[in-house]
Amino acid sequence: MRGLFRWSGKWWPGVVPLVLFWAVAAWNNTAAVEADLAGKATAAVKDVVLDKVRIAADGRDIDFEAEAFSEEGRHGALIAVGAVPGVRLVDDDSRLVPEAKPFVWSAEREVAKITLSGNAPLPVVKGKLMDVARDQVKGIEIVDQMGLARGAPTNFEDAAALLIGQISKLKDGKVAISDSTVSLSGMARELGGREAIATALKGLPQGFSVAANDVRAPPYIFQANKDPVAVTLTLSGYVPDDNIHAIVLGSSSRKFFSEKVVDNLKTSVGAPPGFVNAVIPALGVLSRLSTGTLVVTDREVKISGDALYEAAAAQIRAALPKDFPREWQVTADISVKPASAPVDASVCQQLFSDLLSKTKIRFLTGRATLDSDSTGLLDHLVETALRCPNAAIEIAGHTDSEGEDAANQTLSERRAQAVLDYFVKAGLPADRFTAVGYGSTKPVASNDTDDGKAQNRRIEFLVR
Amino acid sequence: MAYMIAFHWGWLLASLVLGFCMGWVAVVTHARALPKRWMIPLAVLAAVLVTVALTQVVPGRFGYWLDLLLLMFVPYLIGCAIGSQLRGWVVMRTAPRG
Repeated sequence: MRGLFRWSGKWWPGVVPLVLFWAVAAWNNTAAVEADLAGKATAAVKDVVLDKVRIAADGRDIDFEAEAFSEEGRHGALIAVGAVPGVRLVDDDSRLVPEAKPFVWSAEREVAKITLSGNAPLPVVKGKLMDVARDQVKGIEIVDQMGLARGAPTNFEDAAALLIGQISKLKDGKVAISDSTVSLSGMARELGGREAIATALKGLPQGFSVAANDVRAPPYIFQANKDPVAVTLTLSGYVPDDNIHAIVLGSSSRKFFSEKVVDNLKTSVGAPPGFVNAVIPALGVLSRLSTGTLVVTDREVKISGDALYEAAAAQIRAALPKDFPREWQVTADISVKPASAPVDASVCQQLFSDLLSKTKIRFLTGRATLDSDSTGLLDHLVETALRCPNAAIEIAGHTDSEGEDAANQTLSERRAQAVLDYFVKAGLPADRFTAVGYGSTKPVASNDTDDGKAQNRRIEFLVR
Repeated sequence: MAYMIAFHWGWLLASLVLGFCMGWVAVVTHARALPKRWMIPLAVLAAVLVTVALTQVVPGRFGYWLDLLLLMFVPYLIGCAIGSQLRGWVVMRTAPRG
């Protein structure tokens, strides 16, 4: 041992090559050690949810820079990096992702581009929302401008996914979340889009509420065009459902007795309130015109065309305000058709017969009140009467045999008088007309069948 | 430590061999031994360096280089000790008796 101690005094010359070895080793290995440790540290935090991760090695020390989404995550990442074999120290530059208050997220659509912006709580949620957007609106550019922040409301991901689903129903617009309230604005792609979105919003996760739903829908349009040349009534646009579709068609076929009804209507939700109560009287007005167009756009009704005679135009204009629901705006551009050439009594009789062969004057059941569906026919009858100003005309009322004869007699007289009154209101002189009731004494068909009875209930015009 | 050894084993082996050679030569060389008055300052220097390394106060690459230097010294000294001891035995056995 003493020898070893004595000899050790002569070991120092070897230190010179040893230092040389060290210098070479340090020169060669520093970069390799740093790359190896940085790689291992990166792998160690691979499974920890972090943002803006930057790991660099300085010798055996690791500079760890990252944003974590929770204190536990940040702490866990630091421990994982520190536990990498070979790491000496960890220089901690990590911090928590900033908390957003309020937590805001939005998706905006500009026809062919969707931009997701605002905050997402985790990178994985951000990725999922992008996937949902790509899935919902295929073939459209999706731009990710989302940042990451803490403070998202519970069920944020579900709410945002639901809203992305709604943006596919918009032509342009924006859906947004601010804490636990959602707001929507823009223009729906289709009629009914607004309603579909409102329905879908009922599925928002618990805790979320709708602060504003300002989604507008394209105008709800209904059109009717009366063409006297083709003798057609063309219906186009939308009706709310099959039931109203049937009502509109039924009303049209009664009111437009000589025109063929061309039905190009489609069914769609999104009709303004009171749709049917506005469309039916509007069709009634159109039926009184010789040629005309009806356009219903949302709650606006526009009717234009030619009335058959001057008094009809005045009556139409006067009745407009009371025939339509309130909140509806009605404009009528009614002119008067030039008067037709006068004809003699026999032609006049023929014209009356032709009109009444197509349909007949309707009354409310058991009463002498004219059915509004017959107004168009009555105007045509008035127009005919105007063409033979010198002829005396008998307006004859008839009933079927149902009920007592006296009652039928009275009803037939009152119905004939109601027609006469309509003619007088139209400006025709009362002394040209005689209202006569025949009860059921002059049937034209058997009273044993419903069809025969219907034929017997009638008003006839006899030109003398 | 295990990582440092595993990563630099070649250099550590070289240090051991260098130490062995130095120890082998030291027994018979006529070179001057290190003056005794240097022993204490060198021991103090070694203690300071070891303390600095253990407390990890030297940052980054300098810290790594210090660790590597001290680590390479260990096999060098072991090599020296083994070399000198073996040479000492060899010299004793081959020395003329009497």
